[in-house]
Formats: sequence, C-alpha cells, structure tokens
Amino acid sequence: MPDLEIDEPGAREIEITRIYDAPRELVWRAWTEPARLACWWGKRGWSTPLASVTMDVRPGGRFALMSVCDADGTLMPMDTVYREVVEPSLLSWGADDRVATVTFLDLGDGRTEMRFHAVVVVSDEAFANAPVGLASAFDRLGEQLASMDLP
Amino acid sequence: MAVDELSVTFAALADPTRRAILARLAGGEATVNELAAPFAMSLQAVSKHLKVLERAGLIVRGRSAQLRPSRLHGAALGEAAGWLEEYREFWDESFDRLGEHLRELDEPPRNA
Repeated sequence: MPDLEIDEPGAREIEITRIYDAPRELVWRAWTEPARLACWWGKRGWSTPLASVTMDVRPGGRFALMSVCDADGTLMPMDTVYREVVEPSLLSWGADDRVATVTFLDLGDGRTEMRFHAVVVVSDEAFANAPVGLASAFDRLGEQLASMDLP
Repeated sequence: MAVDELSVTFAALADPTRRAILARLAGGEATVNELAAPFAMSLQAVSKHLKVLERAGLIVRGRSAQLRPSRLHGAALGEAAGWLEEYREFWDESFDRLGEHLRELDEPPRNA
C-alpha cells in the first residue's frame, strides 16, 4: 500500500499526499495519457470510458471526460482546461474559483511522491479568515447532529 | 445544493462565534437571551449572527415575536460537510486505483 497522508489546511482546501512505488515518468504518464488515466479515474464502482476522454495536455488545452456509475448509470461529466503543464513535475487544471494542482517529486529511489492540492467550491472573502479546523468543527457538529432527533 | 448556497453556508460557518452558537443549539433550541449569555456580546450582535445563520439555512427561528427561539437546521450543515467529504473521497479512491494501476504496470516484478 502506498503511504497515505491527508492534510486539510482549511475547509475549502484539500490536500492529499501519496507515495507510489513507481518512477515519476510512469506516474506522469498515468495522468497525461487517456488510456492510462481512464484506468484509474474516479471512485470505486465508477468507470471512465476511454472514448469520453479528451486530454489536450498543454496550458489552455481541454481536459474533459465522462464517468459512469456501474450500478445505476449515473453520469458525472468533467469539462475543464489545463492551466499549467510542466512535464514531469506539475499539472494543474480548473477555473479561477476551483483549481486543482498535482505535483510529482522523484524521490530518487524509484518512488514518486505525488501531492494533490485543490481549492474547493467558492471564492468568498469570509473564507480567507476561516480558521484551520473548520473541518473538525463540521465533524463535531455532525456527531452532535447525528446523536439528536431533528424536527 | 448549488455552489452559491454552499458559499453562503461556508461563509456563515467561517465565524467562530457563529460556530459556537451552532454548537450551543446542537444541545437544544434557545432564545436570543440564552444564546447571548456565554458571549460578551449585545443581544443586537447575537441577533445579527442569527440572521446570517438563518439565511444560510443553518437554523430556523420560531415565529413567536418576543422570544423567537432558534434551533438547528441540520440539512444545510450536512450538505456542506457532505460535499467536501464526497470530494475528498473521490480523490482518495481515485488515488488508490492509481496505485493499483501503477502496480499492474510493474508486473512481472522487476526485482523479484
């Protein structure tokens, strides 16, 4: 199993770091070649047909695909553009209010550290002041909510 | 839940006083007076916070003109937290699958 580490700098940011026992070039290709990306993209129980994948891997190029839920056929489209493409170390995509960046670090021993960072959902001034730990506030409140009967 | 609604919800949750108010309401409904008690804050200021929470759909307030007790409305909070959770799960599971994909490429083992 790859090492797993999850860090949430704030509620609207998500950061996930993984270390893969694979050379950086292979990890890069898994992200930038449609036939490879289609193999792993999406949650378990979802498929991404290769025919749906458009990847014009350069700044401003289109990054689009359609995932299908195996169980009920629910469709989940993605259609965005690449922002930065620095082979083989950095890839980012999205619009101004929702950007995801993934970086690849060669650990020098055949392994690759992959760091995914996404700023999620909304641009809102109030959020700039949101304290770290909002997510755990969610959790605590969620637990409290779960333990009571709501009207 | 639309992104704009989530934006309002998150903005409402960004304030520590409002989160404290929500935590208090998780224990049961309360009037403005009761809510103001633990905070060094005017009733007016607390009312303002309640208005923000109400607009975000995080609480509902009674109609009784005088007391207007507030109580937690769980749906908005749940949806906001659920959206983030869903988003993280998407990537977590994708990255698990990426690891499996990379291992498959590795077969037969190079060194064994």
